[in-house]
Amino acid sequence: MPSNIVVRRIRGLINHLGKITDTALDRNPAGRSVTVLPGDVFIVSYPKSGNTWTRFLVGNLIYQDEPITFANVESRLPSLYVHPDRKLRKLPRILKSHDCFDPRYRTVIYIVRDPRDVLVSAYHYAVKLGIVPEDWGVEKFVPALLDGSFESGVLVNPRWGSWHDNVASWLAMKDNRKFLLLRYEDMLVDPERELVKVADFLGLEATPERLARAVRLSSADHMRELEKTQAAEWSLTKNTRPDMAFVRKARAGTWKSELPPQTVADIEAAWGPLMRTLRYELSAAPPERDELPVVLR
Amino acid sequence: MQSRHSSLQRLFAALAQAGRVLTGRQIAGRGLTVFPDDIFLVSYPRSGNTWTRFLLGNLINQSDPVRFSNVESRIPEIYFNRDRFLRQLQRPRMLKSHESFQPEYPRVIYIVRDPRDVAVSFYHHNVKARNISDDYPIASFVPRFIAGEFDRKFGSWRDNVLSWTVLRKDDPGFLLLRYEDMKRDPVVSLTSVVDFLERCSFRKIDSSAAALQRAIELSSAERMRKLEKQDAGLWVLTKGTRSDKPFVRSATAGGWKSQLDRESVAAIESAWGDLMQSLGYELAATTAAADTVSQPGLPS
Repeated sequence: MPSNIVVRRIRGLINHLGKITDTALDRNPAGRSVTVLPGDVFIVSYPKSGNTWTRFLVGNLIYQDEPITFANVESRLPSLYVHPDRKLRKLPRILKSHDCFDPRYRTVIYIVRDPRDVLVSAYHYAVKLGIVPEDWGVEKFVPALLDGSFESGVLVNPRWGSWHDNVASWLAMKDNRKFLLLRYEDMLVDPERELVKVADFLGLEATPERLARAVRLSSADHMRELEKTQAAEWSLTKNTRPDMAFVRKARAGTWKSELPPQTVADIEAAWGPLMRTLRYELSAAPPERDELPVVLR
Repeated sequence: MQSRHSSLQRLFAALAQAGRVLTGRQIAGRGLTVFPDDIFLVSYPRSGNTWTRFLLGNLINQSDPVRFSNVESRIPEIYFNRDRFLRQLQRPRMLKSHESFQPEYPRVIYIVRDPRDVAVSFYHHNVKARNISDDYPIASFVPRFIAGEFDRKFGSWRDNVLSWTVLRKDDPGFLLLRYEDMKRDPVVSLTSVVDFLERCSFRKIDSSAAALQRAIELSSAERMRKLEKQDAGLWVLTKGTRSDKPFVRSATAGGWKSQLDRESVAAIESAWGDLMQSLGYELAATTAAADTVSQPGLPS
């Protein structure tokens, strides 16, 4: 047997043993098996929809001592996908999640973003992560994401569902729990106004000075500066291509120049009715389809 | 003292979990490995899931009738079985689950039952499981049932039913069954399941009238009661519960009319009346305003 195969087998075995040990010692990120405690607040969104920005905004409103940075965000508003359950128990309980509807979440801030921009952003992040083939443009990436053939633990997770399942599951279940819906696009237009909604929702003090400070310390420019020095310390940027930014354009509507018409048509054909409900204007006429089941009319 | 006690408990739980993982025996549950050809039998607890497992198991494999002692290898549930065991089952698998909407379940047969009957059944189930005592009034149980207190991870009845029906109603991989329809005419319900399984390219099933009839007889409440007497100690869901209380109880629709007081009925109907009506469950309270289910959309 050639020695490189032996080496690969041994590596595989070590990797496998490592995984088993991590699970046995509860070192895997909590994810869906997180223990939900009374009073927990969840900041939920599909990936690439402004969750990190929202964590910065909320964190900078809460913590007046020291600004939120990429180095401390995971200990102040931790992600379910970074720490194991055991560690999360000891951290502040405003938690970032990408999960589909979970009935245990009692207080939810849900952020939604135009899926066309989400997919542009996802493509760039996938390139930064080095998980798309070199010769793939966005026009190959989007269909693979839409039909579920693109697999990746960072960007795609079967338990997060598609953009549609994620958004629709939370919107359908917003009654009977504390629920605040934020649109990424509204946050861009007037971040202070949207942050006031969050402050009211969570019962936080929101003087004009505090709001202005939080918005300033969470601006795209400020976050870009932080990323330059802290990218290696943050789990979402560690070991990714340093020549590409995590905090990218932070704008709405870039899909218009970045997505080919056919890709836009594919997205709108798949999710048009829900997009229209969320006030995302379609470039094509949507298919005739109701968003609500007939049994619920 | 209290905190030392709970941290000790946590330590034991952690050690037990470590042991299960290292020996490959952890329970599947939410960590279940899902295959693209899986078919899930989903419902809120006490909605006829076990009866449906008997019906389908008896139809799919007609040579070996389903019993409580073999149901967990025929159509196993995900909460008491090991992922490793479930991965080794013949594909395509059929699995029982009580989860609310799960995006990764590829094909789902969802069973819904009148929540007033679910409340009664769930009450007796909790007495049997020693979660509440014999003299605990059902009128005190109902508000806790409405709040979804007894199995938080499944959500309330409304969370569970609404999340599945809203998200998957138009999906060709979703079939909605009503427990009451199954009771009234099991042949019709079973036929719709057979058609669904055919669409899912499940293995070939003999769905002749005689086969359907036989499966229904092998799954009758009387027969299941008899089997329960023989096998209760062998089945994971009845093992260790009170043996003076049956798992297979009345198996009827409308028992709530005699078992629930007026306030309990009104409480359930005012919480869930809209969804109940849309599923064809007539409300007792004529005054109950039929709230329209709010759009899964934006607040203005």
